[in-house]
Amino acid sequence: MNQTPRGVNRTLLILLGVLLCATGVHLLLLSLGGSYALGWTRFASIAGGHAERLLAATTLPGQPDSWLWIVVAVALVALVLLMVWWITVQGKGRTGTYAREYYDDGARGMVELGAGVPEQALRAALAERHDIVSVSISVWDSPHGDAGLRIRVLPRQGAAPLRIAEDISALAAGLDRALGRGGPVVIHLAAGARARMSRADRVL
Amino acid sequence: MTGAEREAIQHRELYSARSPAAIVAASVVALASIYLLFEVALKALGQDPWLRSPEEWWAWSAGLPQAAEPVLLVLVGVATLGLGLYFLLAGILPGRRPRRPIADPRAIVVVDDPVLASALARRARTEAGVGPEQVLVHLYPKAAEVQLRPTSGIPVNAEAVRRAVEQELELNRIEPRPDVHVRISESGVVGQ
Repeated sequence: MNQTPRGVNRTLLILLGVLLCATGVHLLLLSLGGSYALGWTRFASIAGGHAERLLAATTLPGQPDSWLWIVVAVALVALVLLMVWWITVQGKGRTGTYAREYYDDGARGMVELGAGVPEQALRAALAERHDIVSVSISVWDSPHGDAGLRIRVLPRQGAAPLRIAEDISALAAGLDRALGRGGPVVIHLAAGARARMSRADRVL
Repeated sequence: MTGAEREAIQHRELYSARSPAAIVAASVVALASIYLLFEVALKALGQDPWLRSPEEWWAWSAGLPQAAEPVLLVLVGVATLGLGLYFLLAGILPGRRPRRPIADPRAIVVVDDPVLASALARRARTEAGVGPEQVLVHLYPKAAEVQLRPTSGIPVNAEAVRRAVEQELELNRIEPRPDVHVRISESGVVGQ
């Protein structure tokens, strides 16, 4: 229901994982010494020499250092910003607005239903139930169409999952009719410490 | 809501997004980049380096086999390899959560395995006529294991318990249905 970019997560994780694995293996091989370590030292000093010549060639007259360092600094800033973006998009998509509509019929303004509307309605409808320990309801942006509802229910120990799911599904259908919306609804029957500690429902 | 959209949302509920690993990875890369950026900026401004300038770092890595303690190299190498494997496996493995879907015409319903297990345990114990402490149900991806300790002197019909648990799975529309195995322990419990 959230809009975490999962493909991005997987791709970047694989990329970084391969890079770190290669570095780790490289360090282990270096610790063994021998021809690999010698080869690495030779390769590193040749590459270092190339880089030095390149830096010398890109130093403008009158400047202490190459302008390539500024390019590298800009690239690093971009990388840091990319990482900050990557962290902020995790679990993105939660919203406080369930519906918003503008009617162009002469009256001014628009009608907005906050996330509290479906939440309070469902909470009130489920308050009397004995087979539920707690409910939490969140509203999520849908890429196309109406906002989605995520209903997380902690059933009491031993409660039949389908009965709870069917009743909440019927409530969601009622909410659709009452509010004229039809976004996706997710019902998550969750296990949690609070459900484990609560006494079992005695009614069979 | 189209069928494809339903499928996508259900998949999101059943598989992990790898957010914790992503946040760790992003933090590691960001911290390394910020340090390097600091040194590079000092270099670009013509100031003295803080710890080492980028060129000194490169020369240091070239001289590692001679300069560094082999034990230290092994330790750092293993730690790096471990972190790399953690990221790599998080990226490759499917990351299936211990949840199951329940078919429903309106909503997408997912149930955590412990919730389903406790419903199965209740059914098993009413069928066997034992107390709540005598039944333990464990759900695996493709199997449900029921462990039952009967009350001493009162035999329990394993087949009947198995059928009841299977019926409970069917009643709750769990698809695909896991195989049910019932294990009745040899020793009974007294005074239940």
